[in-house]
Amino acid sequence: MKNSRRKIGIAALAGAAALAFPPLAMAQNVSQKAVPKAESKEDIVLGGSIPLTGVFAFAGIAIDLGIKDYLTILNDSGGIKGRKVRYVPEDTGYKVDQSMAAFKKITGQNKVSLYYADSTAFVKTVNPELERAQNILMTGASFAKEISNAQKYPLQFMVGPDYSEMVGILLQYIAKTKPGAKIALVYSDTEFGKDPVDSARIEAKKLGLNLAIEIVTPPSSVDVSAEIIKLRRADPDYTIFHGYVSAPIPEFINQAKALNLKTAFMGTFWSMDNTTVMRMGPNADGFLGVMPYRYYYDTEGKSPMLERIRKMRPEYQSTGYMQGFLSTMLLTEAARRTLEAGNELTGKNMKTALSSIRNFDTGGIIGVPLSIKGNSIPIGRIYKADFKQQKMVPASDWISLQ
Amino acid sequence: MRIGSAKESYAGDAALFDSRTQYVWVCVLALALCAFPFVASEYWLYLACLVAINIASTTGLNILTGYTGLVSLGQAAFMGLGAYTVAILQIRFASPFILNLLAGGTVAMLAGITVGLPSLRVKGLYLAIATIAAGVMAHFIFSHFSLMGGSGGLTVPPAQFFGIELDDSFKLYWVIVPVAALMLLGAANLFRTRIGRAFIAIRDRDISAEVLGISLLHYKLLAFAISSFYAGVAGGLFVYFFRAVTPESFPLLMSIFFLAAVIVGGMGSILGSILGAVFMTLVPEVLKLIVGWLPVALVGGNATLVLSPIRTIVFGLMIVLFLIFEPHGLAEVWRRIRRLFHLWPFRT
Repeated sequence: MKNSRRKIGIAALAGAAALAFPPLAMAQNVSQKAVPKAESKEDIVLGGSIPLTGVFAFAGIAIDLGIKDYLTILNDSGGIKGRKVRYVPEDTGYKVDQSMAAFKKITGQNKVSLYYADSTAFVKTVNPELERAQNILMTGASFAKEISNAQKYPLQFMVGPDYSEMVGILLQYIAKTKPGAKIALVYSDTEFGKDPVDSARIEAKKLGLNLAIEIVTPPSSVDVSAEIIKLRRADPDYTIFHGYVSAPIPEFINQAKALNLKTAFMGTFWSMDNTTVMRMGPNADGFLGVMPYRYYYDTEGKSPMLERIRKMRPEYQSTGYMQGFLSTMLLTEAARRTLEAGNELTGKNMKTALSSIRNFDTGGIIGVPLSIKGNSIPIGRIYKADFKQQKMVPASDWISLQ
Repeated sequence: MRIGSAKESYAGDAALFDSRTQYVWVCVLALALCAFPFVASEYWLYLACLVAINIASTTGLNILTGYTGLVSLGQAAFMGLGAYTVAILQIRFASPFILNLLAGGTVAMLAGITVGLPSLRVKGLYLAIATIAAGVMAHFIFSHFSLMGGSGGLTVPPAQFFGIELDDSFKLYWVIVPVAALMLLGAANLFRTRIGRAFIAIRDRDISAEVLGISLLHYKLLAFAISSFYAGVAGGLFVYFFRAVTPESFPLLMSIFFLAAVIVGGMGSILGSILGAVFMTLVPEVLKLIVGWLPVALVGGNATLVLSPIRTIVFGLMIVLFLIFEPHGLAEVWRRIRRLFHLWPFRT
């Protein structure tokens, strides 16, 4: 009896100790885990704060797959100058504190040179850390205008146009298609939604377009009847949505159709996935929007990389996948150019190498050769929803703001 | 075995710690906290700072909700007010960070008093809804005033202490953890005073408390003031830690996080605030580590992708199970463990 009580007591003590000191126990484990990684120290590490759960998981899972697939292709063909690229992702739930924790954990356990960031808020938060460490080149899911400031964010870049440039591309298309057109701008009351508003006003004026109305809504509002009345009063030729993934775009489109409004609806990158648009229903037929990349099923012209993707993944891959894929392609291209120039993999060297990219062939992911001059790549194309084909089809040639 | 600790005076009865053993353990903990930055990795230091910030804010909410019985879902908004105040002072005046933190706490406190006014007429869920309005108003202010950087928010230069830039987790640890410890000490002492006892009396039965001569107007607003001061200071620490603040940094979900921390830790318990904040902050990370240890063969090559949603479900389940099996929170579990050792080898 006495013995069993003593055993229970010892077990409880051990349990309490384990509960009280998990950090140390885990820190020890972490260092033990780090040992086998040291054997492959020649690997180039690509870390990632990836939203595999939470509100942005729909894109995060696709981005994760895109990164992995490009690295499989790269590593199977020998890596970068004989060095493999190892991907170390962590789920963030699309929360800044968890993204930061993931960053600290991944960079603490690995010699990270490349990094994928999941949100604008995280990018802003991590920027001082990047500048202090000076050894990482970062890109990610954010297309915020602020990030395209290379002075403020010297070790980051975005794989596509920033949100202002996306709206700029839409406006250029409108100005060419219908000069002097009347436009409505509908955006969410978030940092994401408001990002391109100021520059849209300036750009519309410059192009001789009439920005007739601006409508602000909550990020995923359902009841838009009041806003539709405003839209009917303004009677725009084009209505540009920004700061949403889907809702309330379908509600706007359906109610506008019911009211017989003739306006053409347009979206920006995160609302342009083929599945997202087709789910909006038949009323979304003719929905226009800006895309920095080709769609998975595009067969136009020479696109060996798209063919490779289709061979690897016979089922449709979303625009998030393309974003992750191209991000990895450009991050690793920067690392490759740095190593080929005989330089160390520092953030500054890699950014310089990235900025040296001229007329780069993405294998068809982007329809025109790519040149990188700043933190953004202001190239895009207008696609249009064809509900019969269940596909987004090109509605313009590639438009460059460079 | 310890059979009890006899109190020989009122001062002894009201003391923070009732035995020498407790003093020894507190000293051990203090030493461990001092040694921690020298042995821990950057990742654990980051988490330690985050936990300390969350402890400070959870303690503030526990004073209001756990001790005074006033449910609030405005804690994140008060943190935001503190954070923006600190950010503006740091950017515009580069004033000493201690002053900035106090100013952040004061601004949040004034807002807290205003938001607390409905508490004189409404209680429970009604009050919770009234405090949500604080969050909505705060979000509007943060995103529509150019002083606050609009929707893009503000990026903050690091705090300075005698010329040293507090720009990494190691340096910030020496600010954040002592400030959080001081706030905990203040909260613990608060409940040894008339004010703290008045809060508890209001929680237990506000009409009886008023009959006993406790002014509900005065003490309910005081509870809001102290709670939001804590939130404001925690928000200030948050902005020095993350160096960026946007209107979306302090959503309603964050207030729910703190309320969950109070309930999981133990309402009306300082230890509960600590344990609740530690639980809510660290368990997701610990679950990540556990997921990382699982053999790859068990889940195929895609462990992170497959197990991330499961980890989220497990975290949610843990909270639900805690509420069912230990409604008094982690503080009660801790008390039971302590009792077990006090009376060992006898059963409690």
